[in-house]
Amino acid sequence: MNDEQSLFGRQLPLTAGPANSSAQPAIVSVGQRKQCQRCHQWLLPTDQLPNQAWYCRQCLQLGRLTSQDKLYTIAEPNRFAQVTGPILTWPGKLSPMQGTAATAILDLVRQQRDQLLWAVTGAGKTEIVYPALAWALAQNWRVAWVSPRVDVCLELAPRLQQAFGHVPQTLLHGNQTAPYRYCQLTLCTTHQLLRFHAAFDWIIVDEVDAFPLATSPLLQTAIATAQKPTGSHLYLTATPGEQLQRQVRQKRLAVTYLPLRYHGVLLPQIAVRLIWRWRESLAKGKLAPKLVRQLQGYRRRGQRFLLFVPHVVDLKPVAQALQQAGIVGGLTVHAADDDRAAKVQAMRDQTVSFLITTTILERGVTFPDIAVVVLGGDDPVFSTAALVQIAGRVGRHHDFPTGEVTVYCHSQSRRVRLAQGMIARLNRQGKRLGGQRQ
Amino acid sequence: MSQCLLCQQVLHPQMTLTQFWRWQPLPVPVVCPRCEQQFERITTMHCPQCGRQQTSMTVCHDCERWGDQQLRNHAVYTYNDAMKAYMQQYKFQGDYALRQVMMAPLTQALARQNYDVLVPIPVNQETWQTRGFNQVTGWLQNQPFQQALLVTADHKDQPQSAKTRQQRLLTQQPFSLAPNAAMVLAGKRILLLDDVYTTGRTLRHAATQIYLGGAKAVTSLTLAR
Ligand SMILES: [Zn+2]
Ligand SMILES: [Zn+2]
Ligand SMILES: [Zn+2]
Repeated sequence: MNDEQSLFGRQLPLTAGPANSSAQPAIVSVGQRKQCQRCHQWLLPTDQLPNQAWYCRQCLQLGRLTSQDKLYTIAEPNRFAQVTGPILTWPGKLSPMQGTAATAILDLVRQQRDQLLWAVTGAGKTEIVYPALAWALAQNWRVAWVSPRVDVCLELAPRLQQAFGHVPQTLLHGNQTAPYRYCQLTLCTTHQLLRFHAAFDWIIVDEVDAFPLATSPLLQTAIATAQKPTGSHLYLTATPGEQLQRQVRQKRLAVTYLPLRYHGVLLPQIAVRLIWRWRESLAKGKLAPKLVRQLQGYRRRGQRFLLFVPHVVDLKPVAQALQQAGIVGGLTVHAADDDRAAKVQAMRDQTVSFLITTTILERGVTFPDIAVVVLGGDDPVFSTAALVQIAGRVGRHHDFPTGEVTVYCHSQSRRVRLAQGMIARLNRQGKRLGGQRQ
Repeated sequence: MSQCLLCQQVLHPQMTLTQFWRWQPLPVPVVCPRCEQQFERITTMHCPQCGRQQTSMTVCHDCERWGDQQLRNHAVYTYNDAMKAYMQQYKFQGDYALRQVMMAPLTQALARQNYDVLVPIPVNQETWQTRGFNQVTGWLQNQPFQQALLVTADHKDQPQSAKTRQQRLLTQQPFSLAPNAAMVLAGKRILLLDDVYTTGRTLRHAATQIYLGGAKAVTSLTLAR
């Protein structure tokens, strides 16, 4: 790849750029204030260095930009090698309901409208996008498939590779060392979009509600900047937040609903059980008898399960209390766990019977025939969206479309009730489409 | 509403009753208690020469190898994962705001040292231009210091870790004395200040020059060992 290609639709700090590139200062003054031109955030009056230069703290992870830097770019030319062979090489087939949603999405993409696919957990939303993506690639569009979560990107990469076998693709995220490649299809974390400028004709934002996109103005800006002025985007989610739902109501975002899972069975509803002051008991090394009985039952029947706890510090005491009760054969796993990937794989390979985990496994991870138990579901870390996602781990597989979701709380919680409400609403819609009860 | 400089979590300053009654200004925390706990303070059980944390107070094996080129260094923290991550973001990513994280602990550590003149280890001109700051003086608040040393060679143009121990030990003297250094140093007790004690070569080179400038005694303080 030559230097020019690496600048197509990008904005990079260089000491000198090729002849046909254009450059602008990385930090510009707007009135009294200074703004970073990569992430478009405002600098604080304290963000100055002793050598008088200004620097941006907001996008520091991508390499520091100072007022001494210039960002170089070459306007996106859509200069891709001709794809040899069929674009879509996915061997699967969409269900009639998925097909209807896929057609709706394709129609909106043709009109270059911003849109949302609101599909229940386990609807098969990735595959639903394939026909529209194949069409976009056939138009010689440059497309990005992005997610706020690197896990989601890593899980998706081999699937897209298989489904679009002849289309050159590149995967970009924070901890990788492979050099950048100019490709028609880019799969990356939302953060990496900050390195692009008016590059993409279409951006697919997967798990749009997942932390931190939902709350981060920086990442919203990243999407707006990386998209061409003529471009559009598609948000994918099972649990749109208030902001997205408002945009739908205001008709700023077109929406396609898919309230039923691909196997046609309704979503499992959350069962709530109250255990008063469980945290105090846990401090004494004990878990509530009804929780212990439930988990012992699972172990006896060979029912594999995920046990979610609010915080990383809760993992160890819970694991110890379970061991005391004779519930063994599981592992604990959390976000910063060095063995995280190996432990999740062990669960997939069925060499362990359960995982005790924090909210990191709330989405993107699929195990067939699993039960889910949440301890402390009234803790604020479990947002309504997180609870719906957690419940959505259950019954995803065609052969095991049902299962139990139990949430243990110290007291009734508004977030849990809202999650039950969202599931009930989706199930009412799903039933109208012929969905079967659990 | 302020955030932890390291993890961006919102900080809740704790006001004690004493502070309330005495009408003292509230201490403004810059990191959350959880991030702060990750840094590991070196106790009195340390090597008397390099300051490394150990189980006895005898000279460590690394320092024995320096023979009679002795040094008296104190270090505030062990160079653990949290400190490595901190130095990575502060020094190599150039996040100057992170200087605030170590200002208070370093001020306390300096107050425990006996010295007349504080001399920070300098950075070379190129680093000054690209990084934009000296990571050592960044930690100082109001403490007076003297830039008595100049860097002649590019002694820190590649990370110390990129060199082998052998290469590090063979490095040429990188420092020279600033034009008016003798006036500042003559007959004084000098405290050198550096970020991380790795092999001790940098500090020994600096101490040699400081003695040439007429100092009576030279000791050193580093943030980490
Ligand atoms: Zn920025
Ligand atoms: Zn923190
Ligand atoms: Zn030693």
